[in-house]
Amino acid sequence: MERFIADLVRAFEAGKLSRREFCQTVALAATVYAAGDAADAQSAHGFKVLGINHISYTCPDYTKARDWYTSLLGMVNTPGKDTGKRADLMFGPPPGEGGSYLLTRNADSGEAGAAAAAKAVIDHICFTISDWDEARVRAALTANGLQIGGRPGSLHVYDPFGYDVQLANAIEENAFRH
Amino acid sequence: MEGFVAQKLHDFESGKISRRGLIEALTAAATAGAAGSAGAQGSAPALKVQLVNHISYTCPDFHKAADWYSKVFNLDQVGASKSNVVLPFGKPGEQPYNVTAKDVPQTHLVIRSRDPNRPPESGLPARPPSQAVIDHICYTIADFDRDRVVAELKSLGIEDAKVPGPRTVHVLDPFGFDVQISGLASSALTDRAGQ
Repeated sequence: MERFIADLVRAFEAGKLSRREFCQTVALAATVYAAGDAADAQSAHGFKVLGINHISYTCPDYTKARDWYTSLLGMVNTPGKDTGKRADLMFGPPPGEGGSYLLTRNADSGEAGAAAAAKAVIDHICFTISDWDEARVRAALTANGLQIGGRPGSLHVYDPFGYDVQLANAIEENAFRH
Repeated sequence: MEGFVAQKLHDFESGKISRRGLIEALTAAATAGAAGSAGAQGSAPALKVQLVNHISYTCPDFHKAADWYSKVFNLDQVGASKSNVVLPFGKPGEQPYNVTAKDVPQTHLVIRSRDPNRPPESGLPARPPSQAVIDHICYTIADFDRDRVVAELKSLGIEDAKVPGPRTVHVLDPFGFDVQISGLASSALTDRAGQ
């Protein structure tokens, strides 16, 4: 990276790059560098998973799901993407940098039919909450009229459509502690 | 980022920093940019989910499904029991991609075989079948290239990939569940209906 930037400075000084081009190129290089880290980790066979891009959630009324997941779990409704039939609810790192979103949509989209034909089902999704405070989490859930199941550090509730949503901290729900 | 670069360039041109200082500052900023931007999320509400912790996938034969996901996504299998196995998205101690908080574990799949109509283990009361369904999961992979993904799937013996657009590939897993594969360029900001 340093050598690349040194070359850019040289090109700028020599008048081969405008000021704007120089700034844009360095900014682009930063983005590419971040993605390049991932590219370097690409597997020889199969793919290197960086994370969940999105979860497609089909329900009778996406607005109820949208409002529940944004107001209770802090997801962010992507500006300009709420079509009246679906909404993309962002969470995690920024979009394009590893962030995820919950794609909530109405059942008439046709996606649910494909899922019904599958012999597998995603029976629940667990989300990590950082800086876990058991009392605070329980209070937030209770304030929304939710019945809470599970155990300390790993709680279950049903969303407005009866879907099982788990909320957990890093200690209770960790791949290497199962 | 561009504003920062412009400021440093101005500092260099006005003699406030040396040529070496300019190069070092821009190099540091460029390589640290991704981590820094992760924190720019605004004020935190009462609850704020950070990341998917795990996805609970139930099917008739968890070994078969786990082997498929291990093969396609190069995932290790840990903690196997008689009815489930765990597939983490990384090695022990690794941070999830671009997550700066230290108490957010790697996302993982829990692949199980169990009665979908069993009483809830969570202690919650049994409820009618969910009216909502997860109809597909999209995985972000490193170095996404549509044609390369299709070719790699073929090399793994998976011939039925669908390509609805330049940024994504769909494939069915052994139990007919829709698996989508995309790269970092595909996000909530770029997604569009139908993909």
